[in-house]
Formats: sequence, C-alpha cells, structure tokens
Amino acid sequence: MNRQPGREGDVLTVSQLNAIVKALLDNEPLLSHVMVRGELSNFKYHTQSGHLYMTLKDEKSAVRAVMFASSAKKLLFRPENGMKVIVEGRVAVFERDGQYQLYLTGMQPDGLGALHLAYEQLKAKLAAEGLFAPERKKPLPKTPFHIGVVTASTGAAVRDIIHVLGRRFPAAQVLLYPVLVQGPDAPPMIVEAINWFNERHAADVLIVGRGGGSIEDLWAFNDESVARAIAASAIPVISAVGHETDFTIADFVADLRAPTPSAAAELAVPDSLTLRQRLSNVNVRMADLLLRKTSAGRARLETLSAHWALRQPEKLLDEKRLVLDGLSQRVLQAQQTRLERGRQSLSLTAGKLSALSPLGVLERGYSIVLRRDSPVRRADELAVGDELTLRFAKGEVQARVTKTKEQQ
Amino acid sequence: MNENTQDMKEQGQQTEQPMEFEKALARLEEIVRKLEANDTPLEQSLKLFEEGVALTARCNALLEKAEQQVSMLVRGQDGTMTPAPMPK
Repeated sequence: MNRQPGREGDVLTVSQLNAIVKALLDNEPLLSHVMVRGELSNFKYHTQSGHLYMTLKDEKSAVRAVMFASSAKKLLFRPENGMKVIVEGRVAVFERDGQYQLYLTGMQPDGLGALHLAYEQLKAKLAAEGLFAPERKKPLPKTPFHIGVVTASTGAAVRDIIHVLGRRFPAAQVLLYPVLVQGPDAPPMIVEAINWFNERHAADVLIVGRGGGSIEDLWAFNDESVARAIAASAIPVISAVGHETDFTIADFVADLRAPTPSAAAELAVPDSLTLRQRLSNVNVRMADLLLRKTSAGRARLETLSAHWALRQPEKLLDEKRLVLDGLSQRVLQAQQTRLERGRQSLSLTAGKLSALSPLGVLERGYSIVLRRDSPVRRADELAVGDELTLRFAKGEVQARVTKTKEQQ
Repeated sequence: MNENTQDMKEQGQQTEQPMEFEKALARLEEIVRKLEANDTPLEQSLKLFEEGVALTARCNALLEKAEQQVSMLVRGQDGTMTPAPMPK
C-alpha cells in the first residue's frame, strides 16, 4: 500500500476505507475478546447454514451480531427476542456493508443460568407436545423376569440396583447396558441403549439412571434426545437419577420416576417373599373353599336323608296309594253317576215311547176293533152280521155283530 | 425348541416367563372366584382346585432361583453388543 492512510489529499476507495477500519479493529486487543450485556432483537435462525443473526441492544443503542453454526450448536438454550443475554466474542468489520458487528462464540442468559433456562425451555416444549401426559404412562409389569439397566458399569448406582433386585426378586435376570452418564457423549449412548433393548424386546422393564451429582453432572438426563428415546420406548422405563429433590426431564417422560437407583429397583420388582406368601395364601383359600363346598354338600345330603320320605319310604308309598285310591274312587263315582243318569234318561224316553204306542193303550185294558183289517172308529159303520176281529193287548178273538143301536 | 429358547436368552430376548406368571396369577384369582361362587358344582370345584394347586406349584417353580443372574453387554469389534457375565 503506497498511500499512507490519513494523509491529506489522498482519496480512498470504499474498499480501502473498510479495509483500514477492519485492520484497526482487528488490531485492537480490547475488541478481540469482549463480553457484552444486552437484549436480543431481530433474532433470526438461518435454517440452512445454522448461523444465528441478531441485534443486541440496550436503551440507547444497538449493534449487530452473528453466531456461526459451529458455536450455535453448543448453545444449551434457544435464544429468543427480548431475552436478556451476556454474549462473548470479537468485534470485526463486515467489509461488504461497511458495518462492524459482533462475532459471537458464546451466549449466556443474563440472570438465570443457561442450564436452568435450557431445562425450562425443553420442559415447556415437551410438555406442550404432551410427552409428560399421565395417559402416556405405560403400566409396569407386575412380575418382570427380565430387567434392563442403563447406567454406568461402575459406581454406586449399578451396585445398588443389582443388590436390591437380587434381594427382592432373584428370579429376574438383570442385563446391564453400560453407558457414560455424563459429558457430551452420554446422551447418544443412553439413547442407543434404550433403543437396543426395544429393538430386541430384551427386557420387561428398563431402569435408566445414575447416582446423584450437580446439575451439570445430571445434564445427560435433561437432554432432549434422551427424553425422546424414553418417551418412544415400548418397554416401560423407570427413571433413576439420584437427585431426590429436583426432577430431570427424563423423570418427566419416564413411566415411573424413582428418586434414587435403589428406589427404582424396589419399584421395578415385587418382593419374592410376599409373592410366595400370596401363592401359599391362594392355596389355603382354595383348600378352604373346597372343604366348605364338600361339607356344604354333606350337610345337604344329611338334611335330605333326614327327611321322613327317605327314612320311611313306605310312608311315601302309602301317601301315594291314598291319593291313588282317592282318584280311582272319584273315577268310579263319576262313572256310576253317568250310568245312573243314562239309565234314568233311558226309562224316561221309554215311558214316553210306550205312552204313544197303541200297545200301551191296549195294555191299559182297551182293545181295537178291526173289520177287514181296518180299525173301526164309529158304531154306525157296522151292520148286523159283520165279521169283526177284536185285538187285545194279548191275543185276539173273532166276533159277529148281532144287534145295532140307533145313535142319538 | 430348548436350544431356541437358550439362544433367545443369550441374545437378551424376552421369554414368555412374565406372561406365563401373570397369566397364572390371573387364572388363580379366577379359580378362587369360581370356588367362592355357590353355584359351582362340587365336581367342577374339585377340578378347579387341582388346576389351582398345579398353577401355584408352577409359579413357585418360576420364582425358585438359587442365584441372581446378572449380565453386562460388551461391545464387540463389529460394534454389536453381546451379554457376558457381570464382573464382580
């Protein structure tokens, strides 16, 4: 560069000016690493690049800022407009626009810790998705014979879990998937472990957790991917993060939250002794019921055999015979009556018949006079000398008219 | 069949044990209910009782285990996880 900047009479190009300013700022040690407090506005997340663009402002002024994807990835919380933050980075000139701006390498919420904020944000987000809903919780198997454990292979947590499971329910097989439980590699390992058990249906219930520690130590259990893996698990999950007072996100999504690893083991399995006691109680109850049933049967049998009909069956027969006798008596009676009635009506009819019959008239002492086989009804039909037949009730005679009398 | 079951266990596959156990418990409850019912005939009650005794024996056998079995998955060269006895 031939021309010295600032010398009177020199004319600079825009690019030259910006280059000079850039060089000035770049060489200023105060600006190579600054921390600035301000409020976020015009926040923009560029989805393709992953870069974050924003304006940082206070009551009087504003400055542009950018955070590249490499740094943005490390953010524990989601920056939002209006959020008070403390940012970290360097100041440099964006030569194209002639603007100076902040190139951020870090960002902290101002006031609340970043972890705390991240926790609250993730909690709100997953809650809004319904991942903590009670109706999502799967019931735990009552008697799990296969228990998957996802935790560190060493330390108190795994020892406690195995110890409690062995004491309460030794029949259960325990399968440990060892994972890192803190640090940036922990969440993907925990996710992998949960998925491994699910892909193979390798357990009836999963215990996922670690011993107690600071909020940073427990961070893997506030990780979104871990929370989602627990929520997606078809195998019921008991969270077992040793931090009795605070809940991790894993605790919220788990089907059951245990305050410590040993408590998780207690909750996972029934007590064998209690179970055996229950089985033995069932046996006793069944035997008792059966006994009661047989004695009830016996009692009924006894009541029945005590009945007079069974003790003196002939009495029952007598009884029946009496009934039978009564019945046949009635049948006979009925027949008799009917016969009698028939007889009466018969003689009545016969009486009527005989009253009409000429024979009946003759029977009463009358006789019929016939002349040439015709009945004679008037005396003047006859003349002296006529041959007559007189018919009686019994027999007939021949007679002759000897004398006639004049009718008056 | 037995070899298969063994294989499945070695791969960490779930067996039918919990189903069998819980089904047995459910059946036992049903048996007790039926025995309690007044209208269950004596002949049937006897059969239910026999079934119940067999079921409790089976459940006890499932619970019977001399020693707890603990395995730990170990990552092989190819990245697959294989169960191995838990180091004490």
